[in-house]
Parts: sequence; structure tokens; C-alpha cells
Amino acid sequence: MEIIIEEISRGHKLISQHKLSKDAILIGRGYQNDIILSDPHICPDHLQLTFDGEHWLIEDQGTINGSYLEDGKTGLNNHIINSGDIFSIGKSLLRIVFVNHPVAETVHFSAFENFINIMRHPVMLALSMSVFAFVTGYIFYLNRATEANFSQFLAPVIGMSLLFSAWPIGVALMSHLTKHEARIMTQLGISFAFFNLLWVSDIIQNIVKFNFSSNWPLSNLFSLIPIALAFCLFWLNSYIGFHMTARRRIVVSVGLTLLFFGGSYLVQLSNKPEFSARPHYDATIMTPGFMFMPSSDVDKFILDSEKLFTKAQKAAAKKKGE
Amino acid sequence: MKGFITLILLVSTSISSFAVEQAEEIFKQLAPSLYQIRLIDKASGEKSSIGSGFQISSDGIIATNYHVISGFARHPNKYRIEYLDHQGNKDELILQSVDVINDLALVKRKTDVDMPFFKLAQQVPMKGQELFSLGNPHDLGMIVVPGTYNGLKKESFNDRIHFTGSVNSGMSGGPVVNVQSEVVGVNVATSGNQIGFLVPHDKLVTLFKAFNADKPTSIEQQISEQLSQNQEKLITTLLNSPWKNKRLENAIIPTIDVPFIRCWGDSNADKSDALFFAAVASCSLDENTYLSSNFFTGSIQMEFRYLQAKELSANKFYHLYEQQIQRAVPGNKASKEDVSEFQCHHDIVKPNNQTINSKSIFCTRAYKKFPQLFDVLYLSASIDKDKQALVSHFTIAGVEKSNALAFTRKFMESISWK
Repeated sequence: MEIIIEEISRGHKLISQHKLSKDAILIGRGYQNDIILSDPHICPDHLQLTFDGEHWLIEDQGTINGSYLEDGKTGLNNHIINSGDIFSIGKSLLRIVFVNHPVAETVHFSAFENFINIMRHPVMLALSMSVFAFVTGYIFYLNRATEANFSQFLAPVIGMSLLFSAWPIGVALMSHLTKHEARIMTQLGISFAFFNLLWVSDIIQNIVKFNFSSNWPLSNLFSLIPIALAFCLFWLNSYIGFHMTARRRIVVSVGLTLLFFGGSYLVQLSNKPEFSARPHYDATIMTPGFMFMPSSDVDKFILDSEKLFTKAQKAAAKKKGE
Repeated sequence: MKGFITLILLVSTSISSFAVEQAEEIFKQLAPSLYQIRLIDKASGEKSSIGSGFQISSDGIIATNYHVISGFARHPNKYRIEYLDHQGNKDELILQSVDVINDLALVKRKTDVDMPFFKLAQQVPMKGQELFSLGNPHDLGMIVVPGTYNGLKKESFNDRIHFTGSVNSGMSGGPVVNVQSEVVGVNVATSGNQIGFLVPHDKLVTLFKAFNADKPTSIEQQISEQLSQNQEKLITTLLNSPWKNKRLENAIIPTIDVPFIRCWGDSNADKSDALFFAAVASCSLDENTYLSSNFFTGSIQMEFRYLQAKELSANKFYHLYEQQIQRAVPGNKASKEDVSEFQCHHDIVKPNNQTINSKSIFCTRAYKKFPQLFDVLYLSASIDKDKQALVSHFTIAGVEKSNALAFTRKFMESISWK
């Protein structure tokens, strides 16, 4: 009768798997065993499994540290094995299943799979990283108030690229440490693709801020774009790097997004002075080519500005009452 | 006031020997009606600021500067006002009336007998006439400083006498008399060596007459009315004066043809390594109204900045240009107790009569104690030329809504490309 014995970690991650077709199986640290375990807390002759024609029975061989069903303290003495039982011997866990044991449903390739496959391709990876480096360099160039030559941009561009590589590398390292496949190229490819999408969202936000007046109520919606992008990135990172349920993956991604944006929001909030004597306004301007909305006239502007006076009076009255 | 309130500043003194004799005579005669005015912090019992004052009626009315007793006017529970006379007697003073625009205040001391007092002059002095400024600089004791009357300060909106003589810290609120010992002005500010400013005596006469006719019920209400009247007078004068078009390189900007708005200019033409050429013209009212040491109002500034890219891409030019307009600040000092935070609106605006298309930003904050008054800030940045830009900006402190909007409209419609 065939039997499958799996060595699993305390987090129930598979370490090794053995399929045997014998009616008596010996497990222990000694080399005479069918399954040899290196855990020093296991005795040389630890367990014996026998098939009596109907059931598999498991028996402890009188060991020093004993053998137990995972969830109890009951010692094993001719215990009848059920498929899927987990046993604790020494500091190790063994899971025993029979060939007819049901397996989880096949996981569909995600809709992102194609995207992931394209992005992890070395050519695409090189392309995304160069786009990222180019944009970073261009922003450094724009911000410099004096003339600068190419080599002056090199250091900040390389620095920024390395800094941003830290995230996918970190995720890959985490996967590796948790006994998953590191898939570092895939993580890099996906992350840089999203970093570039974040640049694009920056440009979209600027165009919106530039074109629309402060009356336009949807401006704030556009600031959700980077949050949505970050969520997608975190979701893909965990999709690539870790096996987990769909629900758990969403919870983790939402958690990371909240931590990232909520954290930076809190930092901003705590740095905000109680009273600011300076006006806070939106000063986004872009070259004339980005302007596509018609201009207001002075009447409209004066009418809109007039509303601010009541708002300011209310703000003044409120603070006094507190 | 670009000069400093006399409370703060130190200036050296020099007195000629002839003047000393005359001055001594005047001083002896007037000393009983001269006081040091002290603001006493109730909690610590110590003086928190000092100034001078002089009696102008037999029943104990004493004139001084508003800024000497402003602490009390704003926080009557924190301070009390006290006088110290030439014999060292002290007693409490009661605030009667103020004129924040001309920085004057009337306080009253208790007296049972008719007391000697300063006479206010009937007419203004002649240019060059010798005057004597009295006061207690730096708590050193009463002194007399001779000087010369040099007429009214030409570019002031609210009249100030230009006095050539040392007005020192602590002399604020002291009288300035002619040789007949009649008051012709009140010490108020200094602008460095031998340049002092006085409030003309007619302002004091007006305040005193109004006080005798009708004693104000609330100082806050009185201040509120004075600020409203002053901004009305100022903005009406500005809107009714000729607005002349002036070239700023390729842009047309307005200048208001009134003496009290003065303009200055600068450019970076001397900096050959600059990435863009910049020329700035700024105009402002050289005075403001002191309400407390951290709350000033009544000021106006206008600034125009023309930028032109040299060998720059339009993208980079606009990027640097954006940095130029990010940090507009209000023209007056005000604290959390005085004003709300700014509320702002922005839009792309093209006046019907002009060719320029700009991103325009309007911000305002309301006064907490004077709900009809606001500080406003306007900033507009042209966005219709790839390599040229014009930033137009103004701030007005302590203005009513209708005046603020009327000024904004006129300002917006006066700017264009050549």
C-alpha cells in the first residue's frame, strides 16, 4: 500500500516529500531507517509504521522525547493513521497522506501573468530601468538652477536607481528566506514598470492641476492614482514572491499601501504647524502646450474669489470659539 | 513704516551748547506735565514696556502713542498702565481713546486739583523752525532734544512730520514743542541718525475734540471703525488715481500715480551665468498701521517679475519659473490670535480686454477681532509664452471685501503683453 510522508516546517511549509510502497516503514535518525531525519531530538529508532491490510498504524519505539499527534499530548501507541494527520517527533513535524488524499484546486494563471512574463524579460527589464534612470536624470536636470554636464547627473541617477531597486530586491530576499522562490528578475521588472507608471501618474496629476481651477471637485480623485498603483505593485510583489490565499494577498497589499501612504500622511500631519501665516495654494504651471482648457474671464475669477471671504470669516470665527 | 518704532531703536545724540540753554528753560517749565508711561505686566508686577506722555488738559488727560499702550488695548487683563511723574510719583492710568492710524492714545490720571498742561499749537511750524522733542529715552530720565522742523514727509499717506533730531527709544509719545512751548507734534518713530518722525499736532487736536464731544464706548469698536475708514480712504484714493501703463521689457504693467506708493527695481542683467533673465519692479506703501508687536495692517505691496529664458528648453524654463511662484508670503505680520489661515482659489484667467493668459491665485484671511477686514494676496503667472513669463503679485492688509475685489479687478485688467 502506497503512503506519502512529508516533512513540514512549523508553519506547515513542505520541506521534503517521500512516497513509499512498503507495508512497514521505519523512521528515525539511524541510517537503517527508510526515512532518515537529522533532528538531534529524534531517536535513532523512532517510529514504526505498519499496514495491517486495512489501516496504517503508527507506533513510538519507546523514544526519549516521545511522539505525538500535533494537536495533543497523546502518545502514539498503535494509533490508526488518518490521511492528513500531522505528527510531532523531536522538534520536527511529519504529515502523512494517502494517495487518494484530495489536493487543492488548480490555481489559474492570473490575468497579470502575461504582463509579468513580459516585464521580467531581460530586454524589458533593461528598458524599464533605463526609462526610470532617464526620467530621474531629467528631473535632476530640470531642478538644477545652473548649467550642468552629463557626468554631474550620473551619480544621482545611479544612486536613485539603486535606492529604488532596494524594494524589489528586499521582497525577493523575503521570499527566499520564507522558502519561496526569490524570482528577483521578475520582482525587479514589475517594480520598475510600476515606478515608471508612477511618473506617468505624476504627469497626469500635474496636467489636471494645471488645467482645472480649484472649483473642479474631481482634482482629489487624481491623487488616488498613485495609491492605486502602489496597491497593484504590492499585490503583484506578493503574487510573485509568496504563496498565499487571494484574500490574504489583498489584506497584505492593503496593509502595505496603508502603511506607506498613511504613514507619510501622519508624518505630514505631525509636521504641520498649528497656524500657518503663509498661504497654501497650488502653483503648478506647465508649458503652454499642456493647456487645453479654455480660460475663465475676470468676472468669473472675481466671483469665485468672493466666496473665499465668507470661508475665511467662518475659519476666523471657528478658531475663536475653540 | 520702514523705519522703526522708537521703542526699539537706538540713536546717538548731539546737542549744541546754545540749544542746551534754551532746552533747559523749556524743560524746567514743562516738566510737571511730562510723564513716563509704563505698561506693567500684572502677573510679574514689572514694567514690560515704556514710553512718554504729556498732559493736555487740567483734569488729567495725557496724550501718548498708541503703540506705547497697545499691549493694554489688546489684552486689558494682562496689563495695567501706570505713569511716573517728574517727582517720582506713580499711579494707574485709564485708557480713554485711541487713534491707531496716527498712533495716538489718550489716557487719564486721577487728579483733584487743576493741573498745569501743554498747550496745543494753533498753526503748523515753518520749515527750518527750531523744535524741542521731550521724552524719557531708555528709562534714563526726562530729556529734551532740539531739532528742526522739515515739513511733512512727502510720500506719506497719513501725514508725518519730518523732524531732524534724535528721537530715541522710550521717547515715543513725548511731545515736540516750539519755542513758545506749544505742542506741534508727538514723537513716533525714527529712521536712523537725526531723522525722526512726528505725528502732526492737528491729529491730536482732532482726537481730543472727538473725545470731548463723545467718549468712545469700546476701544475695540473704535479701532475697527478707524481701520475701516482708513482702508476705504486708501483704496478709494488708489482706484481713483491714474493707473499708468509702464513697460517691463515685453510686458505692460500698471503703476499708480500717487506719491505715497514708491517703486524700486532690480534685474539680474549683471549675472552672465544665470539661466534666465529676470527684471523686477516692486511698488509699495511705505507705512503701515501698528496694532500690536506681532500684528500690523494697512500695508500694500505690488511686485512684477519679468522672466526670459536664455538658452533653455521651455520645459526647464517653466520648471524654474514654477519655483519662483511657489512661496508668496503676506505683506504684513499677523499671528494666530489675529487672523484666520489663508483660503485660496486658483484658475486660468484671460481678461477680455487683454492678450495675456495667466494662472491666477487669490488668497484671503479674515481678521478675528475685526470681522469686516481681510488680508488679501494675489499672484498670477503668465502661461502663454514658451520662453517669456510675467509674474504679477500684490498684497493688501486690512481691507474690506468690496475694496479688495475692486482692486483685484483693476489690477488684473491692467496687465498685458506689449
